[in-house]
Amino acid sequence: MSDNKINRKDFIKGAAIGIGGATIAAMGLYSYSPMRKSHFKAKTRKLQDFGVCKSIKVTNISETSWFDNATLMGDIKKAGGLLVNQYEYNWPPFGNGKGLGKGSYSEGIEKIKHLLPNRLDEAWEIIKKNCINIDNAGGFAALVEIEELDGKKRKFLLDSGWSYKWMDECFKREGIDKMLANGEIEALIISHEHFDHFWGLPVTLKYKPDITIYIPEGFYSEGLSYIKDSGHRGKLIINKAGLTKMTPGFGLYNFNVPIICRVFGEQSMFFNIKDKGLVSVTGCCHQGIIQFCDTAYKELKYDNDKLHGIYGGLHISPFEDWDPKYDDLVISLGNYGFEKIGCNHCTGLLCAKKFIERGYPVVQGTARFRTKDKSYLGNGDVISFGV
Amino acid sequence: MKKMVILSDNKKFFKETTMEDYGKNYLEQRKLEKKWKGPIPAIVNLLFTLVIFYITWWIFQDPRGWLRMYTPYVGYMYTRWWLIVLIWMVYLFNFWPFKRDWVIKTHPVIKGLILTSISALILVALIKIFFEGILGNFGIAYFNPSRISKLPGVTEFFAIEYASLACLMFAAIASWLSPAWVVACEEAPWQKLSQPAKGFSIWVVTFFLSTIVYFVTMHSHMGILYYPWQYFTSITPPYWENFANTVSGNFHVAWIMCCTVTVWLLETIWERFPFSLIKNPTARRITAFFGIIAIAFAMHFFFYFVQELTFGEAIRGTRRDAAPDWRWLHVGEMAIFLLVPALFLKFYAGNWPNKFSLPVNVLLRTIISAAAGIVLYYLYYRFGHLVLGTQKGFSHPQQFPMIPTIWLINIWLVNHWFMDNWPGWKMVPKTAEEIAAEEKAMEEKISEIKWSSSLGLGIGAGAVIGMTLYFITIRILPFLYEKISIIPN
Repeated sequence: MSDNKINRKDFIKGAAIGIGGATIAAMGLYSYSPMRKSHFKAKTRKLQDFGVCKSIKVTNISETSWFDNATLMGDIKKAGGLLVNQYEYNWPPFGNGKGLGKGSYSEGIEKIKHLLPNRLDEAWEIIKKNCINIDNAGGFAALVEIEELDGKKRKFLLDSGWSYKWMDECFKREGIDKMLANGEIEALIISHEHFDHFWGLPVTLKYKPDITIYIPEGFYSEGLSYIKDSGHRGKLIINKAGLTKMTPGFGLYNFNVPIICRVFGEQSMFFNIKDKGLVSVTGCCHQGIIQFCDTAYKELKYDNDKLHGIYGGLHISPFEDWDPKYDDLVISLGNYGFEKIGCNHCTGLLCAKKFIERGYPVVQGTARFRTKDKSYLGNGDVISFGV
Repeated sequence: MKKMVILSDNKKFFKETTMEDYGKNYLEQRKLEKKWKGPIPAIVNLLFTLVIFYITWWIFQDPRGWLRMYTPYVGYMYTRWWLIVLIWMVYLFNFWPFKRDWVIKTHPVIKGLILTSISALILVALIKIFFEGILGNFGIAYFNPSRISKLPGVTEFFAIEYASLACLMFAAIASWLSPAWVVACEEAPWQKLSQPAKGFSIWVVTFFLSTIVYFVTMHSHMGILYYPWQYFTSITPPYWENFANTVSGNFHVAWIMCCTVTVWLLETIWERFPFSLIKNPTARRITAFFGIIAIAFAMHFFFYFVQELTFGEAIRGTRRDAAPDWRWLHVGEMAIFLLVPALFLKFYAGNWPNKFSLPVNVLLRTIISAAAGIVLYYLYYRFGHLVLGTQKGFSHPQQFPMIPTIWLINIWLVNHWFMDNWPGWKMVPKTAEEIAAEEKAMEEKISEIKWSSSLGLGIGAGAVIGMTLYFITIRILPFLYEKISIIPN
């Protein structure tokens, strides 16, 4: 081959070098440069109209899901960590007497099924014998009262807590038992399948067995069986991912998120308060409060185009643990302009304190009924939006 | 000095005549011969190692299993440090203090059991004695769970998790620097020392460097972990906050993991190309060491961009797949998915393909590894939770795909390094002539790549193709992601 002709082998070798080198160079020089932003989709807003309401009032029935963090985390540690299936912990009510981490839904429910939902005291006596750390169980539940534009009021129950004993006491303290029995509460909305939000279901059903229940898709077979085994006789509605319009100005939004203790999916509440803006009420907010806000911005239409308030567990440091990414949240939350923040439960006391330190409008509570600190909107406390 | 002795049973063994051969790399001196033709040995070994993986996963890691170390940080820490201990034993110390004769003659299963047990002992001693006992008691409290648990409000569970996190962040750095000193720096300046002097020299230097890198990349993360921010013992907020859009040290975990992956790509499917083209040893070593970092940063930025193109822009303060800290962590996870098939190609597929020139072989192997990595990524997120006892979905806060992938890599390293690819292969020491022939063949491969106008034209054309491929990839990624449902609702 003469010198001025292309040597095929050398050309291919060079091409291989060129392809590898240029690809790596482009990866390094372009991928994190400001130019990359031209590839991002512009945020399109769907602006789904889900109506408007006048105001909402949230009564915290119980935010104390467990009373001693060290006991709960001790159980989780000994059972094998945060990925262990929650039905295997041998926590109440699904105890089989075999000890920590050796429980099963089927063995546990078999012992109490015949007593649900009416004979909860008897069931609790059996549970005491078969479960571990019974007295550490509390629960999360809230009553949400919506005032529509014409003044009509509607009530919904968000979650049903965990311990039968504790939740029954809390329901009686706040008059939830009577509201359920009278049919004042339209529906029970289960935010997600976690023990502290869902396992107290028979307490609600004791007073209103035919109540309509909304759950997010993603419940495991044990959870679905528990609804039946608890004696539910009403309608069960399984919400798909995305928005479910409930009443004017009230929507549920379901997020497909993986959650600790083998749970999947959580739904939270959005409210559009007239002349105020958007309010979110969450059980645990495993999707993250800022994700929740961002979703609202992209998906929903709300008054003043303003994020007005938050209530609930914000799932930042539920076990009083910490991580620098939580500081990312603490730092960023101020950019969203909330005017009223009521936080508790899985938000973490340290996080609530950091919010207060940064001057965020945290509505503090009264620290009654076993709530530990006033930086939380505690058990029996009330927060209103639009009033 | 050695001489080759031909034994009556036709097995060839190195026999020591003067001193032990700790200094020579056993991996280069052995020849692995397939016991059966075709892909059967690879399939047999894959099945064998997967069975071992699953049994050991169940015993040590699985949240449904026996010891349930996947808490996750405890299991994660041991997984990472085990990888480093294996690297130390083989790459730094060349099997010292075991006599080469023993390494050659012992049955692979016995050898695997003994060496693995020793690696486990070193691992436990390292964590319990060095990190928790010495460092955690006399230097930095956060390496010792019992000291952390004295902080008000910190439970025993999280005390152990935080200490494990600190140890594993250190491990991430060591898993890059320890092999990099061998692969990139070619053990210089101690390459001529005998063992254990060489091993200890490299170990001390790489450990020292790891400590420095730890302090400037990870220590601030630990300082932020405790309330209030530890302003006077660590730099908070950290210097990377605005660039990385997070105060989390995951930004560094990402590029350091990419360094680890690049070191192993360079050592396996790239056969130390392109740095092997540099003739001057000092220039080659320096270029290789910093070249690894440069390639790792390219990978680092690209994998982050891939997530922006698929999951959408990151939003600071969110949790899960939109959070910058998780995105950076996922960069490292994506890189590991790329490494797994690359190691399989090297260990069990004879570094296929081999019939082309070195640059073409390297490019083809990289493409194969990338494609297989994407398939593995899909399989992990689609089915992994069913097998591993973890939770389905991306970005579960307690879920780290690096744990099972590195656990599998560790088992492959045990099988490949300690067990000579048993049962699909048998080890036969290479003759001096074979070693010389291999070295010559590699020199020829490198010398084939000489500057010419054809090579230059090829590089130019390849550069255009490479750029085009890059921009086509980033254009089609969002559409591909929309079409493929990895995790069905």
